[in-house]
Amino acid sequence: MGQYRAWLEAYGTAYLEAAAWTLSLAVLSFIAALIWGAVLFFLRLSGGTWVARSVDAYVQVLRNTPVLLPIYLIYFGFPLLGVLWPAAVCGGVALVLQNGAYICEIFRGGYKAIEWVQHDAAKSLGLLPWTHFRKVTLPQILVHSIPALGNQAVLLLKDTSLLSAITVIELTMQSKVLTERTGTAYAPFLVAAVFYLAMVWALEVLTQLALRSVRWR
Amino acid sequence: MTEAWHKVLACVARSLTPLVAALALIASVCAGSAQERSRLDEVLQRGSLIVVTLGTVPPFAFKDDKGELVGFDIDVARLAANALFRDPNKIEFVVVTSDGRWPAIESGRADMGVGGTTVYPDRAIRVAFTRAFIDSGISIMVAKSAGIKSLQDLNQEKYTVANLNNPQMADRAAALFPKAKIITFDTPSGEFLAVKSGRAHALQIDTPTADYFAATSATDFEVLPTLLTASQNNAIYLKPGDFKWWLWLDTFVSELRTGSLYPKYAEIYQKWFKKDPPPQKFYLSPAR
Repeated sequence: MGQYRAWLEAYGTAYLEAAAWTLSLAVLSFIAALIWGAVLFFLRLSGGTWVARSVDAYVQVLRNTPVLLPIYLIYFGFPLLGVLWPAAVCGGVALVLQNGAYICEIFRGGYKAIEWVQHDAAKSLGLLPWTHFRKVTLPQILVHSIPALGNQAVLLLKDTSLLSAITVIELTMQSKVLTERTGTAYAPFLVAAVFYLAMVWALEVLTQLALRSVRWR
Repeated sequence: MTEAWHKVLACVARSLTPLVAALALIASVCAGSAQERSRLDEVLQRGSLIVVTLGTVPPFAFKDDKGELVGFDIDVARLAANALFRDPNKIEFVVVTSDGRWPAIESGRADMGVGGTTVYPDRAIRVAFTRAFIDSGISIMVAKSAGIKSLQDLNQEKYTVANLNNPQMADRAAALFPKAKIITFDTPSGEFLAVKSGRAHALQIDTPTADYFAATSATDFEVLPTLLTASQNNAIYLKPGDFKWWLWLDTFVSELRTGSLYPKYAEIYQKWFKKDPPPQKFYLSPAR
């Protein structure tokens, strides 16, 4: 036990710092991905045929490639074009690009789940397009999307571990550094796992709260 | 009559209880000693050696053009298999990334590890090392275009240096070029990509690997002439606490460096480094 206490004293702050990186990367990327996903969804919904097809193509490409590819391309490729963003920004942008594609599809699924007669009913009531959207469409999309969005947030949080490949010292990289320094096999990764579990648990609570607040409005 | 029999049976039953307990105790002690059986016996019984290694550290352990695992440390492992079984091919390699080495040893997945692995006091708390079988050190490779000629040049805020995630490099960077910015990768390929893409101006890498890359693929790089510190030790590593197995491996390394296996050692040293190894003994003239 004393061994572990010494270990925590030596590396505790390093872990907290790494956890802060993981959490802030996940939160900021998720907010940006929500916005980007919503933009894509509106383009898909209200743009012309070609806009819709372009969005579809984007979604297909980004959803069907491992996120490590955009991470590498942006981090190692952009400097060749003279764009030298910090590693965390490169990784965050890659996560936003992919998760935006997923979130666009989540919104689209939520939209498709609305029975068509409701739109007919809204029109026959004489609702203007904006009121129609605000009062009929949007609340239902949100209710339908929230569980899937919560899921996506969990996936995004775990994908931040891939940024260890491009020098971001987040939880996974911190564990790798410590296991290399001390030759300890499991402990560094178990500590990281506890942090991840706690964050995912918090996300699940938030998802439940969000669901409740929308449902009983 | 029956009553007497009952008494006898009861007596037997009573005496059986401690007997059973004693048997259980002996069995558990036997099981315990079975667990403490040396890895050496296990290896000999299995008839092959399982070795954890890396696949990305030429010329120690890497994949050649045909995709086969080769290198100086791979040959050292084969010499160990040959010493155990008179057959260098009675060996199985487990290829991992650098931070996968320790779980492979601790879990018992592999009997021993070898492959560009440097002895470090922090590591020796949880992993056992043999004596060193080769010197190592860390060199700096710089992009020729960066115009860096010495460590003093490098120690400026405008420069970025790519490290691997091991303690040797972190400690040296802090001691020798504290002003330069450090970025940390988990693979050598990440370090090279970083310099090629202009994210970093220089990278730290094991000296033999640096020499190998500079001579073969990375012609737009050069190796800074100064060795950063005195030389370090690369060794075979294993799970601590198994004296018999450690002793065999350490004896093997000793024989390799200074004894009966020195001719073979000189042979593979020539093959991978194109020069003679350090002399067999300090009071003997250099090899051959």
